[in-house]
Amino acid sequence: MTQNTGTGARPGVGPAGSEPASATPATPPPFDRPNAAVAAAQADAAPVKPPPPRLTWMGITHQWGTRVKPGKHGLRLGDLNVGIYGEVPAVWNDQTRNPRGAVARRGIPPVGYSIRDKADLWADCAADLYEEAIQRRWAPATDVPWATLASLPDDLEAAICQVATELSQYANVDVEAVTHWQHQMAYGYHEVKQFLATVSFDAARHLEAFRKRALANGGGLGLEGPGEVNRMILESRGGWTETVLYLFVLRGLFTQTMLRYLERYATCDAERAIYGNCLEDKARHLTYGVDHLWYSINHQPDQKLITQQLCIIGERVLVRELKDPVLREALSIVFAGGVARAASEGAAVYRKMMRDFVRRYLDVMKWLGVERTAMFPDELAQYLRND
Amino acid sequence: MGEAGAASQQGELDLGWMKRRGEWGVRAEPSKQGLTLADIQIGSYGDPVAVSDNQTGRPRGAAARATSMRIGGYSVTRKSEIWLENASFLYEEALQRQWSSATDVPWHTIRPLPDDIEQAQCQLATFLTEVEFVAGDVPARWISQTTPDYFEPRQCLLAQVMDESRHMDVFRKRALANGGGLMLTSGGTAGVVGSIDLSRDFTEMSSRLHISGEGAVLTIFRMGELMAYNEAEKAMYRLCSQDEARHVAFGVMHMRYMSEAAPERREEIQCYLDEAERQILAGSQNPAGTQTDASEALAILLGGGKDKYDEGLKKLIAIRKRQVTEYVKRVRTTGFGDRFDNGRSQLPALMNQAAA
Repeated sequence: MTQNTGTGARPGVGPAGSEPASATPATPPPFDRPNAAVAAAQADAAPVKPPPPRLTWMGITHQWGTRVKPGKHGLRLGDLNVGIYGEVPAVWNDQTRNPRGAVARRGIPPVGYSIRDKADLWADCAADLYEEAIQRRWAPATDVPWATLASLPDDLEAAICQVATELSQYANVDVEAVTHWQHQMAYGYHEVKQFLATVSFDAARHLEAFRKRALANGGGLGLEGPGEVNRMILESRGGWTETVLYLFVLRGLFTQTMLRYLERYATCDAERAIYGNCLEDKARHLTYGVDHLWYSINHQPDQKLITQQLCIIGERVLVRELKDPVLREALSIVFAGGVARAASEGAAVYRKMMRDFVRRYLDVMKWLGVERTAMFPDELAQYLRND
Repeated sequence: MGEAGAASQQGELDLGWMKRRGEWGVRAEPSKQGLTLADIQIGSYGDPVAVSDNQTGRPRGAAARATSMRIGGYSVTRKSEIWLENASFLYEEALQRQWSSATDVPWHTIRPLPDDIEQAQCQLATFLTEVEFVAGDVPARWISQTTPDYFEPRQCLLAQVMDESRHMDVFRKRALANGGGLMLTSGGTAGVVGSIDLSRDFTEMSSRLHISGEGAVLTIFRMGELMAYNEAEKAMYRLCSQDEARHVAFGVMHMRYMSEAAPERREEIQCYLDEAERQILAGSQNPAGTQTDASEALAILLGGGKDKYDEGLKKLIAIRKRQVTEYVKRVRTTGFGDRFDNGRSQLPALMNQAAA
């Protein structure tokens, strides 16, 4: 009655390299300490004449005998990539929710995934980043020492609130961009989908944390951002890779650099905790972004040139957004500790921040092998000249 | 002078933005659970409008720019379509109760099992991995379509996507951790008419996903001790049931809000419940559904082996009845309990299927 498919492995017999199933022990009891719900369920059981089981599923597997052992960091997602379960194909044509390595049922209507090529989403680090994100979880409600917030001069409070407003809006774009694509990704690449679940959850926390900061110290939300880069990210429908470039690398690096400076100029431990925790999260997002771009560029013949073209477009959009004075002025006030020295000392720190951002951006592009001297906007290049 | 120099000279700051802002002078105070989302629902930042015209992604309560482009493309713009009263609480609880399948499940307690039991466990794990895919995919799609003016429910859904991701991996881990492997998928998660995937209305989706679908799975998880053979499996089901209970609560509280805020939609909602009830026992997305591979696997686990299948089936039938009882309680809580009193619900007749 039972049969095997696929590799021909059969239950109880492990494939080469895996531990064989050990001798069958005595059947353990199905439960030892039934709780109240269990007891109630048993009490409800009425005598019936059960139909005979079909059990046609028994023995249907592509690979049996897999025994992954937990390591010193527990049993991690990446540890599961053994035997056929670790074979990640270049194209995943299965349009159902068949878990990778399971036996697919034939004739199932498709769900309709648009991202089915590994090169369009993969990053080797996704599984590790997923586990790291879970281990480094934090809660703005309880992991930020809100009691350390102290009243600030109105100009400084207004500037911090303006920055928090824009960062909260950035996080909203993170949420919307990632969740727009997430469900379109095929399950053959579940590690990436799972990592992206942590990214959108991180973004939810960022949205929340910055909103809380704006509303916790006698201020309030400021003016919405100009939205040029937001638009570019949300309208980057050419593929997930394009979104990754704009969301995690261009905007991501800009945000990360800003957070690093904000952490340095924080007015209290609560702010330091917010910026510090967000920075850790952002570092994971950037790692995935760069790793994915690297994979994409190295597995698709035209991707390097496409990335270069997208960079040229994206940099110009960023420059347009930066012409809006609001964020720049707010940051200058924060860095200077008030309006009085914002245009001098604050602006100087802002320029350093921009210099760091441009440098890091160009370093990443260089590492990826994407040429970024031609048509690089002078508005960004000048930050390096002023060095 | 370039862009960088614009703010570099004294007196060149514009500062006009300082006068264009949301309500000023807000000082939210942390409560005993810290500074929660509920704590910042104050003043004009509290209750959102019934119909949102925010298509720019503006944070609720921030000042609008006249020049902002309408980039949101949101389709969920009415509060009644997605709101619930306790979203802030559910979200904060989700944050506090995050867990790790790598380190919070005592994997070392897993011991080799008889082959029929290991196969049943792996078949069930394969099924659960597959259905958790649905519960992760679908809420994600709705998040991106919902205006940020209703960010509290969106935060809950984001937590759900994270939870489901963990459920996927914990069941995959179980299947690959004890000498077994993944087995046969159910195919019951395909995108066909009336499925969770294809719902074009949030409440329709939520009624299927949260109330009937996850409700049925929650009952199974709560019975985890019955089908667990070691502490790792017990922990797995217990932790998943905590998460699942929040998701079900989301659906129940949303439907209750919808019922009160948009009574004109009650008849339409009854139709979704009609559909859900037809699927609750016969549908292939319920692991305890009649005559499915997962339910046979469950019967083996509940009985203690293939040779004790009949004994296991009796327990399974009790679980199905419990699923129905809990479903009825939930629907009564939403305010749609009249369907069980006026003869609209076919569940009493469907209860006979429980023994099939």
